[in-house]
Amino acid sequence: MPVVELAQVTKTYESKVAVDHLSLSIEAGQMFGLLGPNGTGKTSSIRMMMGITLPDTGSITLFGKPFERASLKRVGYLPEERGLYKKMKVIEQLIFFGELHGLHEAEARSRATDWARRLDIDDSLHKKTEELSKGMQQKIQFIGSLLHDPALIIMDEPFSGLDPVNAKLLEQTLLALKDQGKAIVFSTHRMDQVEKLCDSICLIDKGQAVLAGKVREIKSRYERNHVMVEFEGSEAFLQSAEVAEAKNFSGHAEIRLRPHGNAQKLLREASACATIYRFELVEPSLEEIFIQTVGGKVDA
Amino acid sequence: MRNMLLIARREYLEQVRGRAFKTTTIGLPAIFALIVGVGYLSNLGLGANRQVAVASNDPLLAGQIRQKLAGDKDAKARVIVAAPATPQDRALLLNKVKDGTLDGLLWVDTATGKLPTATYTSQSAGDFITAARVKSALNHAIIDERLIGGGMQQGSADALVNGTSVATYQVKMDGSVLKTNAEASFWKGYVMAILLSMTTMIYGMNVARSIIQEKTSRIFEVMLAIASPSDMLAGKLIGVGAVGLTQIAIWLVAAAAILVSPFAGAILTGELAVHITWTEAILFPVYFVLGYLLYSSLFAGLAATCETEQELQMYTPLAAAPTWLSFALIMLVINDSNSFWSVAASFFPPTAPVIMFLRMAAEIPPAWQFAVSIGLLTLSIWAVLWFSTRLYRIGILMYGKRATVPELLRWLRYS
Repeated sequence: MPVVELAQVTKTYESKVAVDHLSLSIEAGQMFGLLGPNGTGKTSSIRMMMGITLPDTGSITLFGKPFERASLKRVGYLPEERGLYKKMKVIEQLIFFGELHGLHEAEARSRATDWARRLDIDDSLHKKTEELSKGMQQKIQFIGSLLHDPALIIMDEPFSGLDPVNAKLLEQTLLALKDQGKAIVFSTHRMDQVEKLCDSICLIDKGQAVLAGKVREIKSRYERNHVMVEFEGSEAFLQSAEVAEAKNFSGHAEIRLRPHGNAQKLLREASACATIYRFELVEPSLEEIFIQTVGGKVDA
Repeated sequence: MRNMLLIARREYLEQVRGRAFKTTTIGLPAIFALIVGVGYLSNLGLGANRQVAVASNDPLLAGQIRQKLAGDKDAKARVIVAAPATPQDRALLLNKVKDGTLDGLLWVDTATGKLPTATYTSQSAGDFITAARVKSALNHAIIDERLIGGGMQQGSADALVNGTSVATYQVKMDGSVLKTNAEASFWKGYVMAILLSMTTMIYGMNVARSIIQEKTSRIFEVMLAIASPSDMLAGKLIGVGAVGLTQIAIWLVAAAAILVSPFAGAILTGELAVHITWTEAILFPVYFVLGYLLYSSLFAGLAATCETEQELQMYTPLAAAPTWLSFALIMLVINDSNSFWSVAASFFPPTAPVIMFLRMAAEIPPAWQFAVSIGLLTLSIWAVLWFSTRLYRIGILMYGKRATVPELLRWLRYS
């Protein structure tokens, strides 16, 4: 049974179609990436999953039932435009969120303290929110959305504004939650994170799903036409007729072959003019797929 | 219900712990007391301890004037009499005014068969209070002199000049007759009406400001994942209203403590004696809660449709117009608290809290009028809340876009 399912959902604001017949399904224990350029309907889709706005047409089910507010008790939500009560102390704020989710004060306090320790912000628990940096506030919001141990976690751009160390910490936390069987949906522009974290993705452009499915399956649809070469010697082979595009970084070249280009022929040409330390035929990255798809240059 | 109470508790604690609450709780009465105190003390001091010379060719009249000025308990002027005085004496005394030895010179010129003519010369052209006291003393002295000259005894003449005081009594609903002080009653009602309108407006605006701040900070999106919009609005109204009641309770306890102190006892007696009846003590919080709920739910609906505090401020004078109307009706209510318009204004929900307290200052209205007034207020609160909750529910969720009728209907179905 899908934890969350959107079926032919459409949302229009005035004359702008924000979401256009979008369908997707997310299972328990799955990390799902919602991708797309700015203003293409990611946040609109997430808000409909949370019941913040209603679809004009189509249906949304949570935990196998049509959307109802009661289901939100099992959902943790981190919106893109985040807000906290600035004058409240961090611990009081977290207890308040926990209590609203049905926890008793002592339980909420205990969980907030544990999470703060886990995310390395236990020193800030008794400070006012307004005294903290944006990154710290984001971690507090992250904790606030997880205190009640939700079965479905929905996060809109959870990594934006975080430094690499804290982004890594959040990645590890999300992976641990996924291992516990939580269904996790997040939107991001960071393709490297999607590639590392997500099992499935949905790429949205102009409100429509233009690419969806398991990451491995999507990548396998694309030809392995990228070559990584580490070499010493002449770079004349980069001008080969097999090469569509090449970037050379002082002995490290990233090459895109022409459609149906012959990698073996290129290897022979490279070996003839340089010493080859590495020659690897790789599949395109999600970022390249993203750019190709959204740019309308899909090779697959 | 649980979430509503949690939200109310958060609102209450955040505001009560805030600097603004502490400052206004202590600061407002302190500023009010300071203004009243400074005004009272200044008034006591004005025109007092002046050294005034009375010069006249009529020693009897000059003596009468000195007696009247000396008898003015507020003025306490030291009076020098120069009588019978010559033009040379006048010039000498004027020099003393010029060099500041004297604060003023009253020169009275009498001629048989004519009314005396008088001039008052002082260094300060703005010292109208002393001038007024001198004028009053002069007029009383002239009347006294004429009455005594006509054969009346000094005591009878003084009594006639000082006038007769009128004691006021009020027939109560139970038929009993009580001595009252109309002026003190008016001021009591006026102060209570101001307190009532001020607090309902302040806390109504606090609700609106709180909504705008949450809307601007986008915490609504976090909150909506947890609580329903109606719980959020109800929690906010209860929490902020409780803050208002707490502040009023602190002020009333402090006021009661001051009123029973020996210091206040010495001042607030006689003409200034103020008695708060049980009816007033019970109805004040009732009308505060009702007035607050009416205005705060109206402000909440308005705030939900606004994007910024500046936008909200543009609508505030319109929402506060009924309060201004209440105070515009003061004279109407004071003149006849039982007239058709007075009773109608105390039934009209937006003006009911203030007008009812002004009416109570003059005379306690019959119980059925309280029942109608409170009933209509409750009905109008229900109507405004119904409307505002829907505005709120849609307004906080629609960023930069007006809700359409189909959206409104969907939200009604959803909630």
